[in-house]
Amino acid sequence: MSILADIGTIFSAILSQDPWEIKTAFNTQGMWVFSLVLTLVAGLVVFQVYRSVPFLERHLERGVAVFMYLAMAWIIFSGVVDRFVFSNQVPWSTTIPPFLFMIMAWFGCSYNIKLRTHLSFNEFRMKMSRERQLVALTTDAILWFGFCWIVVSTTLRIAANSADNFAIVAGTDSIMQWWFIITIPIAFLLMSGRVVGNLVEDWANYRSGEVLVQTAVIGGDV
Amino acid sequence: MTDGTWITLISLGVTFLFMTGVPVLLVIFYWVVGCSFVTGLPLLNAGSELLNVFKNGFALLAMPLFILTGDLINQSGIARRLSDFAYSCLGWLRGGLAMAAIGACGLFAAISGSNSATTATIGSMLHPEMVKGGYDERFSAATAAAGGTVGIIIPPSIIFIVYGFLLSLPISDLFIAGIIPGALMVLAMMFACFIICTINGWGILIRLSFMRVMKTAIGAWLGFFAIGLVLWGIYTGKFSPTEAAGVTVGFCIIVGMASYPLNKIMGSDKDTPIEDKSVVSMFVVEGFTALDIPRIVSRSAQITGILAPLIAVSVVMQQQLSDLGAKEVIGDFVTGMGGYYAVLFTSMAIVFFSGMILESLPVTIILAPILAPIAASVGIDPIHFSVIFLVGASIGFITPPYGLNLYVASGVTGVPYFRLLPYTVPYLVALIFVWVLVALVPDLALMLLPDR
Repeated sequence: MSILADIGTIFSAILSQDPWEIKTAFNTQGMWVFSLVLTLVAGLVVFQVYRSVPFLERHLERGVAVFMYLAMAWIIFSGVVDRFVFSNQVPWSTTIPPFLFMIMAWFGCSYNIKLRTHLSFNEFRMKMSRERQLVALTTDAILWFGFCWIVVSTTLRIAANSADNFAIVAGTDSIMQWWFIITIPIAFLLMSGRVVGNLVEDWANYRSGEVLVQTAVIGGDV
Repeated sequence: MTDGTWITLISLGVTFLFMTGVPVLLVIFYWVVGCSFVTGLPLLNAGSELLNVFKNGFALLAMPLFILTGDLINQSGIARRLSDFAYSCLGWLRGGLAMAAIGACGLFAAISGSNSATTATIGSMLHPEMVKGGYDERFSAATAAAGGTVGIIIPPSIIFIVYGFLLSLPISDLFIAGIIPGALMVLAMMFACFIICTINGWGILIRLSFMRVMKTAIGAWLGFFAIGLVLWGIYTGKFSPTEAAGVTVGFCIIVGMASYPLNKIMGSDKDTPIEDKSVVSMFVVEGFTALDIPRIVSRSAQITGILAPLIAVSVVMQQQLSDLGAKEVIGDFVTGMGGYYAVLFTSMAIVFFSGMILESLPVTIILAPILAPIAASVGIDPIHFSVIFLVGASIGFITPPYGLNLYVASGVTGVPYFRLLPYTVPYLVALIFVWVLVALVPDLALMLLPDR
């Protein structure tokens, strides 16, 4: 009953848009259940969206990662040029890029789930029977989903805490840290969509007799 | 059950997951989650570390930028020019092309900082030519895998960046300390390669021609310039390693985009034999257009999307180990071995065996903060120890069962993992020889650092 009450508080806090209320509501035990449902629902929605709009499926995470990569490189490069040529350097040129890197890393992580290129020791899995391979792939999906759930739950709290503290990115006057931090749970919600997609694909491959486990090539399919 | 029993069971459980092919990222994460339940640490700590690693890590930014540099020099054709130069210098020796592949790895590593990028680039470029040139395909794949190990020792190096970041050591000093050991690794592997190829009679010899060497050296000038730019900037303190990486990315993009139209005007392409190319056309590389940049960056983002999350969860694991008192346990074990040399060789053995089962980044993140203070307590210079540690970690790239370079080489050459393993043994022996030498002679790491 208390968990349900916590979830009710979380919803009303989100609707109130008050950072302190949101932070307080997110710090209750009900947040775990709320983020579990959120991750599951978001995973299904993202999966459906990716299925309906293949362009997004192919380019969303990559596009974000590439944009952040180039922005980060540009800020650092222009910071050095600025210092050498104009004896000047904008103060945020060393504080914004780490946040861009963070966004790029987690969106890139999500895309690697689709490509199944996260580092793993696949030698025994390749030699397993099809049934065992399917069990192993389903285990992967459950573990990825649990990872998404835990990170969504914890980073949403951190984002709410940061918003409540009005934490500003060093070297800027008005750029809030939570604007960047909130991208982590978003990346993990997209990730849960990838997990659902992989699971559906694995079961379909199993039923149709397709190869279940293949050697992934790092740097492939880009 | 005691906490210790629970943690042992959790460790065995995640080891089982690892052996069944669950990604390393998840294996480490669930070990952290399991231990958090046992020790009562809130999971919020783990979540906040996944953020803090990046937020407080300007130095860590050099990692994605040097990965991007590797892809840019590959796509622009600079990497090909460096390997042409290495081949023209070494092609007259038995096994010259294989030695050139190792030399090209060394040159590529001096601009990029990634072992897998080095292995993938040189492997995909030179493996087909080596097979065509009469080399065994398994040996050729093993050469690319072994050559890639220097990717993280010759500066710039991703793993030195992570090590310096974790232990608050000057990354520029670490880079400089890696130059001579990295060069020794290249020479030792070339020697091993020469012996194997001489015994087996592999390779077609080409005549050593001064003109060809000069022409390919001119062709590789942009690569040499980029190497010089990175080393000059870091050595003189003009840029931090992260800024050096940003400058090199900017340089490669400008050069790549400027070269493309010039190369079209000159009408030469990458398949034209060097003999048929004019000296003037050698000055310009193939380059790329602005439209190619998203595709190139996308590849780098994919590799970064694998490595950066792994770094983040490894940092969380390291903190968890620290809370569990692993530092004291390993510390007591290592210091119990005796003095300077006992600590040195015990640490090396721990790094070596850990490298066999874990990826080198987690090995570094988990073990370096534990072993480095112990090494310092018996009088081992921290920079010297960092080089010893990381040469050991780089050897882990070609030690089974978990050797990342072996996977990458297998992926780019199509040679099955287990088939190329025996052919890495000569390189492994050569690398271990250099490793012990670097451990016993601190000056090999420190002589370029006058302050130490």
